[in-house]
Amino acid sequence: MIQLTQVTKQYHRRGETVTAFQCDQLSIGKGEYVAVVGPSGSGKTTLLSLLGGMLSPTTGEVVLNGQSLYKLSPAARSALRSECMGFVFQTFNLIPYLTALQNVQIPLCLSRMPIEEQIERATALLVQFGLEERLHHRPSELSVGQQQRVALARTLVNDPQVILADEPTGNLDPESREIVLTAFEKCHHDGRTLVMVTHDPVAATRAQRQLLLRNGQLGEIEAAADSETSHRAA
Amino acid sequence: MTLYSIVYQELKARPWAMLSSGLAILLGVAALVAIRHITVHSEGEVSRQLSTLGANILVLPKEATLQDFYSADKNGGSLPEEHVSEIWMAGLTGVEKVSPKLNVPANLGGIPVTFTGILPQSEFAAQSAWQTVSMFTPKKHDGCKKAHTGPGDQSPEALITSRAIENLKDNELVLGADVGEKSAYSEGDQVELLGGQFTILAVLPRTGTVDDSRVFGHLHTVQKLSNSGETVNAIEIVGCCEDAAGDLVPELSKLLPNAKVVTISQVVQTQVGVNRLMANTSWFILGVLVCVGGASLAGAISANVRERRREIGTLMALGATPSFVLKMFLAKALILGVIAGSLGCVLGLVTAVVAGPRWAGVEILPMPGTALLAVLAATLVALTAAYWPARQAARLDPCLCFQEV
Repeated sequence: MIQLTQVTKQYHRRGETVTAFQCDQLSIGKGEYVAVVGPSGSGKTTLLSLLGGMLSPTTGEVVLNGQSLYKLSPAARSALRSECMGFVFQTFNLIPYLTALQNVQIPLCLSRMPIEEQIERATALLVQFGLEERLHHRPSELSVGQQQRVALARTLVNDPQVILADEPTGNLDPESREIVLTAFEKCHHDGRTLVMVTHDPVAATRAQRQLLLRNGQLGEIEAAADSETSHRAA
Repeated sequence: MTLYSIVYQELKARPWAMLSSGLAILLGVAALVAIRHITVHSEGEVSRQLSTLGANILVLPKEATLQDFYSADKNGGSLPEEHVSEIWMAGLTGVEKVSPKLNVPANLGGIPVTFTGILPQSEFAAQSAWQTVSMFTPKKHDGCKKAHTGPGDQSPEALITSRAIENLKDNELVLGADVGEKSAYSEGDQVELLGGQFTILAVLPRTGTVDDSRVFGHLHTVQKLSNSGETVNAIEIVGCCEDAAGDLVPELSKLLPNAKVVTISQVVQTQVGVNRLMANTSWFILGVLVCVGGASLAGAISANVRERRREIGTLMALGATPSFVLKMFLAKALILGVIAGSLGCVLGLVTAVVAGPRWAGVEILPMPGTALLAVLAATLVALTAAYWPARQAARLDPCLCFQEV
């Protein structure tokens, strides 16, 4: 599903070359649930950006479904993100002037779906997340947990094959965190591929596989046969 | 949800952010539309008047202005009446009619009026005959097809068409249209004015000029009743053609060194020139205001892009292409340009329609071409101003979506 080969990302600052990310080989299979842990500044966000087709690597190749991401044009990568990928952000990144429903409609709008279908699909998903009373509320009128559920609905509304999550539980209370992690597990069971960058050890143990990122170097921590087993152990 | 609804929601949520730039464009367009309407209509009106006036010449006191003459203001000074005879007897080529005027304020049946003393043309003829100086009689300008130095129209209405009247007795009055309408006096009525008893000879048809509010009487009667002595405020001369008028000015100036000699045609042409200058200035004003509006809009969109970097990154992460982001900001500029341009157009039109008759004395009719051009210009400026910041937005790094607040 996702393959990184000899990938490095370097930045040049004040005449110095800084390697933000380095990975000789990484394969993430279809339907895998991977947690990437590591200290701040270790390159976790760089990894997500590389996987999302938003940051060209200095060297190497990022392949998604057999297609080399950075050989595509920026517009084609945008289309690919719209069709195959979903993002979950630490601070939700909801558009403040749009309602919950309109926020969830955005990915559908970008994939040029007819408006009636957009509304139908977005509403169904928000109802599924228990937000039927909050469809026409703006993010500022929602609680933190509700905002994250709207963000999750927005991620899933396009039925993405790959979900990339950046610290999805970082700003949440235990109850909301549980909702998010349960939703991720459901996605995993539905056969979607998840890559979650996190500081949260509890969230990491819920993943099927954990990777450690330190000083831009990626390494395997452990491979859990079943994320649910890990969850019970935690 | 569409691109336009995203733009609309954003504009609705933060209307004040764009108001200043939109306001600058709105005012620019309003100024352009108002000035263009007034100048174009004023120019048309002045040209029309020019064609009907012919080559008239005014002899005024040195200290008087044209405004004094047209507002019938006696404070503009006076001239000795003997200048009339001097002009007449000088036998200058091209002089067709000489019409001295003395204006005094008066009250006719409770209505304030300007009592204007005029000298009937028949008295010039009598004067010439008495003096037996036929060699002093005005000479017809060679090649002129317009000259009528002989007896002309005998009716009082000739006051309007040829600026002079053939016959007017000492106790007769001719009323301007407004005075006739307000006072309800008609031909043959007996009235009292400045202590004198008069018979109304005629009520003139409406001219749309200051003459409508005048009461014309014999010059010598007005001089006597107002104790003005043998003076006049102005001497109108109808030249036989424009060429003659052109030559007459220096000759008259030489003849009457203590008076001011101006040709109405020159003044009107100067006015037309001023109107054209105003019309051209209006484009300059448009340029300045629209540049200010454009710069203001560009600044506002740039600030908007800076504020929304993370939002733009998020949209890109969700699948927005660079062209979608570009269109999003251009659509915003388009909406602002069309709205500000249209509102400015309406404001400018209303201003022109209301102010035109007051400021320029002309009735203003909407000019759809100018209005459309102004809206198009505003839209084009808004789009041009927004293009650079919109392009910057489209080139933003999508990784900004991961930036923490």
